[in-house]
Amino acid sequence: MTATLSRASRAAPPQPGARKIKGVGERLSAYAYIAPFFVVFGVFGLFPFAFTFYVALFDWNPIGDQVFIGFDNFTRMFGDPRFWNAAGNTVSIWALSTVPQLLLALVLAHVLNHARLRFALFFRMSVLVPYVTSVAATAIVFVQLFDRDYGLLNWLLGLVGVEPVDFVQSTWGSHLLIATMVTWRWFGYTTLLYLASLQSLPRSVFEAAAIDGAGPWQRFRHISVPSLRPVIIFTVVTSTIGGLQIFTEPLLIATGAPLTCGAVRQCQTLTLFLYEQGFGQFEFGYGSAVGVALFVMVVAIAALNYLLSTRIKAD
Amino acid sequence: MKLRSPLLLAAAVLALLTACTPGTGGGGGGDGKSFEFWSFSAINQKLTVEAYKAKRPDVEIKLTEVGTSTETAQSLTTALAGGKVPDLVLIQGDNLPQFVEQPQNFVDLRTLGADEVKGDYLDWVWRQSVAKDGEVLGVPTDVGGMAVAYRTDLFAAAGLPTDRAAVSALWPSWDAFIETGKRYKQTTGKAFTDNAATSVFYQAVNQVSEKYYSEDRKLVYSTNPQVKAAFDLGIKAATAGITSGQSSFESAWSAGMAQGQYAAVSAPSWMLNSIRSTAPDTKGKWDIAKIPGGSGNWGGSYLAIPKRAKNPQAAWDYIKEMQSPQGQLEHFNRVGALPSTPSVYQDSKLTDAKDPFFSDAPTGKIYTESLLGLKPFYIGPDSAAIGQEFLNAITNVEQSGGNPATAWDDALRAIKNAIGE
Repeated sequence: MTATLSRASRAAPPQPGARKIKGVGERLSAYAYIAPFFVVFGVFGLFPFAFTFYVALFDWNPIGDQVFIGFDNFTRMFGDPRFWNAAGNTVSIWALSTVPQLLLALVLAHVLNHARLRFALFFRMSVLVPYVTSVAATAIVFVQLFDRDYGLLNWLLGLVGVEPVDFVQSTWGSHLLIATMVTWRWFGYTTLLYLASLQSLPRSVFEAAAIDGAGPWQRFRHISVPSLRPVIIFTVVTSTIGGLQIFTEPLLIATGAPLTCGAVRQCQTLTLFLYEQGFGQFEFGYGSAVGVALFVMVVAIAALNYLLSTRIKAD
Repeated sequence: MKLRSPLLLAAAVLALLTACTPGTGGGGGGDGKSFEFWSFSAINQKLTVEAYKAKRPDVEIKLTEVGTSTETAQSLTTALAGGKVPDLVLIQGDNLPQFVEQPQNFVDLRTLGADEVKGDYLDWVWRQSVAKDGEVLGVPTDVGGMAVAYRTDLFAAAGLPTDRAAVSALWPSWDAFIETGKRYKQTTGKAFTDNAATSVFYQAVNQVSEKYYSEDRKLVYSTNPQVKAAFDLGIKAATAGITSGQSSFESAWSAGMAQGQYAAVSAPSWMLNSIRSTAPDTKGKWDIAKIPGGSGNWGGSYLAIPKRAKNPQAAWDYIKEMQSPQGQLEHFNRVGALPSTPSVYQDSKLTDAKDPFFSDAPTGKIYTESLLGLKPFYIGPDSAAIGQEFLNAITNVEQSGGNPATAWDDALRAIKNAIGE
């Protein structure tokens, strides 16, 4: 970050008093130039955001009455087992996807950073392919791979005598399926983040360690990991925020009951629950309340990130 | 340029904003000659629209196939809340109550002359689109009589009769249907039907005289013995090992259909199209028998005109022409949707209609018979949500190893969460 900033300031050095700003028009024109972004942001970002807090206080039927009910939606939410079920599913899917994803990325980045790796560019680019594949396509393929009757995975399990597993219909199976999709999609991106950070380290450190007799594991454990600490925290936080918002994958895997992700909401995440209430049941008020709760969680995690990263800088 | 550019920009931004303001976008002009029509996909609405254009070449129809019936209802809700509305919209029966609760969003069709045609339609079907103060919001386009589609080849292989009268005699009741399933399973070792939730429970619960609401529109789903009996049948089928545990309309369900995994599938009249399109290679291997219990209705749709429609008159002209008894009979002969107008039930064009895909079964006759002696029940705003939770509870037992003993209580709890009472 600091590198980018200093490079930018070098490229465009400030020139105080180079030219006097003339007239009100020119003064205002700057605002006009930036207006398109802020107008669009206001209309599609800020306004819906603020409006959500307002709607959350109503029993809001989009084609009927809007009745002010204060905090009743929130009281209902805290007593609603479907909300807690969705929260539990979200945490479970997040844990199942983030931990393997970050570990895998860490190891891959270390390997891709190896000085004697051939076709390094090819491998570094390949890990990004899942990231640029559309989520819908990924979901279709993975659901087929994990299918109970015709899936490749169950066929392989059958070869070793395991009874077919109904991944989508079981709680753990569906979480595993979604987590696999999320991991598949994001591990390459995370790998590249780690790799970029590793490459900013002087190679001489690794070489010196090797000369001193440190093996690959020791170099990984004592050089790569500690130097990656800030970026690891960054990826933990971003993947946590992303994990709270997992939506498309659960929506697409249980095609018979998409909005609940299965008959017993076995893989319904918080965002999917929000969507089901808002746009399936058209309970806009209740859906908005879930949205507010989600917002509070994301802010809390972002605050935690801020605390952790300032602590690290202080170290 | 100095002063003008920001003003120009501001003007451009303003223009952009007004262009996006909902509710003011124009459809066709209000000339009575063109209208916009939202329908479901995959029901061949195009054919009927073209038939109307042939009769009225001066009228222009913009047909949009929004998606499934649920997606169409969702889009309609969004549009009513503040967007561009169509002039004419098809609403599936299960989605209708939520709109009937809010009649101010629709044109009261009595103002266009609905009272004159009321007598053409099945009374209990008509009544479902009447709001609390008597406003008529929709005209029924079709009904979903019930039957069972079965595979003659698979039945023969299992030593069961294949003639449709003999097969109908196998299952006068749902218990007998489940027993037949067990027999089939014993001889072949294979699943008999696709699932318990939709193929058994959802059919049985649509054969009652009172469903989730009482006649005076009070919720009785938890105390109505008829609902409990249908639910118990669903659980019985789920635990009897006669289903292949594929939820209706999922992709694996379609695959199973194409591969001939189900010997018998409950088939409301609109399901025939679905079987035809998911398993085209099974043509001629199916036949149609009576539904256990003899009668029942599931589904059917309505045409409604939103209040903000630009061309309500043009839309009404279409309804009047295409949903007349004769229009519905022609529609039946085109796509197989069952008319909601009883006067044509004896018409030879309906009774003689045979479907080659289903071994020349007389579909018109079989399905209209399932509507005779039907006891109408009130469908309320939460009926769909309640039905879904019951389905989910049975699916849980059937596919996810849920405990059948607690399924009923689980379902009641889930319904309470879903509808808040």
